[in-house]
Amino acid sequence: MRSMKTSGMIAGMAVAAIVLAACGGGTGAGNAGDGGTQGGAGGEAKTIKLVAAEYSKDNTKAFWDAFAKTYKDKTGYTLEVQIISWDNLDQQSSTMIQNNQAPDILNLNAYASYAKDGLLYNSDEVLPASVKSDILPTFVKYGTYDGKFYGFPDLSSARAFFYNTDLFKEAGVASPPKTWAELEDAARKISALGDGNVGYALPLGPEEAQGEFSMWLFNNGGTWKDQGKWTINSAQNVETLTFLKKLTDEKLTQNNPARTNRADAFDLFKSGKAGMIIGFSPLAAALDEDGKVKYAVAPFPTNDGSESKTFGVTDYLMAFKKPGNSNQAAVKAFYELYYQKDQINTWIKSEGFLPVTQSGIEEFRGDEKLKVYLDTLPNAQLTPTDDPTWDRVKLAVQQNLGRALTGDPKAVLDELQQTAESAS
Amino acid sequence: MGSVHPLVALLWLAPALLLILGVVLYPAIKLFDASRSEFSITGLRRGDAGWENYAKVLDHPSLGTVLVNTLIWVVAVVAVTIVLGLALAQFLVKQFPGRRYVRWAVIVPWAASLIITSQLFVLLYDYNYGIVNHLLLGAGVIDAPIDFLGDDSWTMFSMVVVGVFVSLPFTIFVFIAGLNAIPDDVLEAATVDGARPRQRYRSIVLPLLRPALMIATVLNVIYVFNSFPIIYTLNDRNPGYLHDTTITFMYKLAFKSQEKDVGMSAAAGIFNVLLILAVVLIYLKIINWREETSR
Repeated sequence: MRSMKTSGMIAGMAVAAIVLAACGGGTGAGNAGDGGTQGGAGGEAKTIKLVAAEYSKDNTKAFWDAFAKTYKDKTGYTLEVQIISWDNLDQQSSTMIQNNQAPDILNLNAYASYAKDGLLYNSDEVLPASVKSDILPTFVKYGTYDGKFYGFPDLSSARAFFYNTDLFKEAGVASPPKTWAELEDAARKISALGDGNVGYALPLGPEEAQGEFSMWLFNNGGTWKDQGKWTINSAQNVETLTFLKKLTDEKLTQNNPARTNRADAFDLFKSGKAGMIIGFSPLAAALDEDGKVKYAVAPFPTNDGSESKTFGVTDYLMAFKKPGNSNQAAVKAFYELYYQKDQINTWIKSEGFLPVTQSGIEEFRGDEKLKVYLDTLPNAQLTPTDDPTWDRVKLAVQQNLGRALTGDPKAVLDELQQTAESAS
Repeated sequence: MGSVHPLVALLWLAPALLLILGVVLYPAIKLFDASRSEFSITGLRRGDAGWENYAKVLDHPSLGTVLVNTLIWVVAVVAVTIVLGLALAQFLVKQFPGRRYVRWAVIVPWAASLIITSQLFVLLYDYNYGIVNHLLLGAGVIDAPIDFLGDDSWTMFSMVVVGVFVSLPFTIFVFIAGLNAIPDDVLEAATVDGARPRQRYRSIVLPLLRPALMIATVLNVIYVFNSFPIIYTLNDRNPGYLHDTTITFMYKLAFKSQEKDVGMSAAAGIFNVLLILAVVLIYLKIINWREETSR
């Protein structure tokens, strides 16, 4: 009798231990912040959660931790910070929303689908008016879905044309190309040097095919979407893609550009074997740190020699509604602090990106190295991030654009156009 | 010995039951739930989808390619692993100086994380500065570098090599254990009766190794079928589903493809579970059938 009791007790304790372990352990991301994110019944949330993208190992966490401290000191609210690498961010944010555990603020490279699903606060609800008027009009335009501003930019980048000055000298090319014909000519001369040198590093692999192609098509007067209509298979875009196929066919690019991701193309340029590439400020920072490759930055050449356009990219800090809008005040306080000059600009500077506000541009103006980007930034063209359909089209482009280099550019663009139209 | 009260027995089983419920059953139910729901691209559940997600998976234009890839991947990796594993295990049960260190070395690929191993192979295979191309070029075997990961005719081969590399340690150790379990007197008796080495191997070693072979095959089929990191890492530069297996197909459906549909991916996940169950059952059935007829 006694022994039965004892064994029963031990078993009971074992059960309790397992249950405890299960509760304590969690299963990774989605559960980390269950505790504080929901406000008390009908009350106001005192704690909000931020899920942020990891731009760099060194700076991202340091900045947000310091920010959370200042936020607590100034406003009394608590900010829980969770930092996730870009590789996992899409997957984890999707899981959070699936489990009804959306963070209060999410840092991502898309917002329109979330706005369409009615999950987000718009600027009238959480963004101080002075901040809205400080954000560059381009970014307000691309952050606006259905007449309301939801996609608040956290930082931006603009692409520019990088060329290896040593290779240019060796190949006898005097100045950076202004037109595509000149670019082709320069690429031919550099490729002719042999020894594994390639003229132009063209990454059309799945990682960022839409970025590379955007830069090219904007500089041929093309667009993804114009006046509310998809223009993916426009004559200019077919011409652009055909030109890229020609560069590939004539072996003026690295091997197999359709299967080259951006990171690999950057590595090739960093190794000094590529003559030209589309880069952005973080690439410049990496090149400067290595100090191995002599390079210069110029506006991207256009097909006909007209004025160069740049492709701009911005990521977003979007705010999720919670039942009873319990988190509204805390979220508003977050944006008020984030967009203060000493916060946002410190952050952007440490990560090596570009500002998103007028005041930011003023502050960055002094930096000679950033001049080429800053001049083009206010007129930068973006991909149609304000259209939720783009979130799908972008994926289709990443998975399919490369096929054009071994197939028919027009057929590939026709198919993408159809995907876009049927998804709209 | 009094019999144990059923309630006490249940209490003793409870931890294990709870674990099974929590770790196996609950996720399975959630997966099934998800597969019958309609999701927005953001992951927001919109409502019930009935069997539509299943229909969409079956209708997917790349499904055929993916299934063929899966078949090639599993059969090639498991077959090569078993054959190589047998040979290496045979070698490692022999007595020789330094055997212990060689056995340790064999475990290493097993101990390293699959992602790290895969990344390492990406570097080895690299077109511009990979050591494999460097060696082959230096030895004069090839005139131009091979694009191991980007050339469609090489990609699957390159992935299978990595698959075999990481499956070998486990397989070898199963076989070493199996070989050590074969009693020496049986082999001695066969030698006395005049059996030649090949005969001894075919008529005595292999039949006695059957349990080890079966375990190695079933477990390897399951591991290799479910292997995600190798294919995902080595194939990440290739667009579409040209070299995907059902596992990476499922992942891409949820997060990378233009479908970006959690529901569809969950339905593909259900198909995966059914598929691997069917394969294992069929395999076990064949093994049993052979055992019965051989009597």
